[in-house]
Amino acid sequence: MSSEIKVWIIAEKPQGTAELIAGAKNFTDNVTALVIGPQERAEQAVRLGAGKVYWLGEAGPGMMWEDYTDTILSLLQQENPALMLVHATKRGKLLAGRLAANLGTTVLTDVMELTWEVDRFKATRRVYGGSAVRQERALTGTTIATVGSGVFTPLPEEAGRTGTIIEVPFVEPKIRIKLVEKKKRETVSVNLPAAKRIVCVGRGLARQEDLGLVEELARLLEAEMACTRPIAEGLNWMPRERYIGVSGAMVKPDLYLALGVSGQIQHMVGANQSRTIAAVNTDKAAPIFNQADYGIVGDLKKIVPALIARFKAE
Amino acid sequence: MVINNIAENTKKLGAKQTRGETRMNIIACYKIVPDEKDIQVRSDRSISIDKAEWVIGQYDLNAVEAAMQIYEAVGGKVTALSVGDRQLENSKLKKGVLSRGPQELFLVIDEALSGADTNLTARALAAAARKIGFDLIICGEGSQDLYSQQVGIQLGQILNVPTLNAVSRIVAENGKLIVERSLEDEVEVLEVSLPAVISVTTDINQPRIASMKDILAAGKKPVTQWSLADVGLNDANRRTEILYTLAPEQAERKRIILEGESEEVLDKFYELLRKAI
Repeated sequence: MSSEIKVWIIAEKPQGTAELIAGAKNFTDNVTALVIGPQERAEQAVRLGAGKVYWLGEAGPGMMWEDYTDTILSLLQQENPALMLVHATKRGKLLAGRLAANLGTTVLTDVMELTWEVDRFKATRRVYGGSAVRQERALTGTTIATVGSGVFTPLPEEAGRTGTIIEVPFVEPKIRIKLVEKKKRETVSVNLPAAKRIVCVGRGLARQEDLGLVEELARLLEAEMACTRPIAEGLNWMPRERYIGVSGAMVKPDLYLALGVSGQIQHMVGANQSRTIAAVNTDKAAPIFNQADYGIVGDLKKIVPALIARFKAE
Repeated sequence: MVINNIAENTKKLGAKQTRGETRMNIIACYKIVPDEKDIQVRSDRSISIDKAEWVIGQYDLNAVEAAMQIYEAVGGKVTALSVGDRQLENSKLKKGVLSRGPQELFLVIDEALSGADTNLTARALAAAARKIGFDLIICGEGSQDLYSQQVGIQLGQILNVPTLNAVSRIVAENGKLIVERSLEDEVEVLEVSLPAVISVTTDINQPRIASMKDILAAGKKPVTQWSLADVGLNDANRRTEILYTLAPEQAERKRIILEGESEEVLDKFYELLRKAI
């Protein structure tokens, strides 16, 4: 650990702030959190371990979170931290990219692991749809990196921690986009990464009506339902929150039961941390069977009811 | 880095809007990528894309389709644009993108762009876009191979125009755009002045399938090929260095695979599942 390196963090949500402060503290005691929101969030960032908080204030009605980009940019240009960690939400990605373009640098995206060596940060990420892991390092002054949820574990809040909160005046954006309206999105609250058992359906499920059968099996197994990307995006048979894969949820249940899932790498990268992988597929040559502990080559419309009958008989 | 003057840009790029014209010059950006099905893993976990077939990134097809739908609604022109190395010269891929509707194709081909990072890609696209002229640039959500979801954002900022990601709906009206932006737990409705750069989601549309007629017609459409020097980009330096690219370590699996739907097979599979939970 060093107090020399300056690491900054920013996240939309308190959970992201907590995770990124913990991540930043792996490298330095000199952690600065940028907070947009009520003052209470700035105070909370201190309790979570930030030595300094730049409190940007609360976004007023009609304002976008990203309207703070120019304010953040001017702070970055004044202080040149070694690293700026941005929580990898959609807004975070837009902020990170705009900051990087202004600083003439790039963004290390969706970082899974971050190390500091000599004078540079090195970051690993997935590439080629999860077929490979790549390590890169930024060659420019401030390294900007986006980090998703779950990479760093938050530190507990401690009332005894002290830090400075500095209120930062708003810099009027050079480019403004007019916010017309905000609509609450119909989201499904599901925590797949925490699920102990998962039943996942893929394109091998011929008809949407057959989902009912799979749901019944999932209920008996006390499992969460999940799917591959085409089932959620394209067919829209299941909500997006339930798809597993490199751009979706990354899961690690005790049992992952794949029904009609071919086993493409983009999907499996999200499931291959499961303790046991079981698969049903009509295609003997499906790649899923090379990555499964147990499998049946057969028709899921016959196999699922047979399994339901057996679990019901218990 | 080139710092743009916003007023000058607006004057140069968005002149049509001030004349109250609604037709739009749209650039749809795309990237060609090695098909990950063809990626080979060597015994030392290093990977080879030497035998991979190159394809148009599937998420970029949504960008091309979004551009076509706006063009079909308000008129104007759709130009396809890509930057990269000599793989882009593949005539099947050129026809592939043009068969989906764009009237013209521009390519910036330079060995210095091989495996470019998002910053260099965005700078090359910006240089080409300035030369072509545009009211709107549409990019996909992310490239199929690296999926950084950054190029469209950085491109917009380098061009000093409004830039948005996660756009799931676009309506062009009176020389501006009303867009919906799908975030994690809300949808924003935004009014965007032009010129602008928009990155669209993968579910904004279903990309059209080209017919044989479209593919034949694509071969006759104009294609312009430039080098980095042609678009005036002299600094092709990277902002990142790749240290390694390796296949992930695989967990050992039991691979007990049963066949058929007989009662014995089903009993066995059920027992195996029972033990796993």
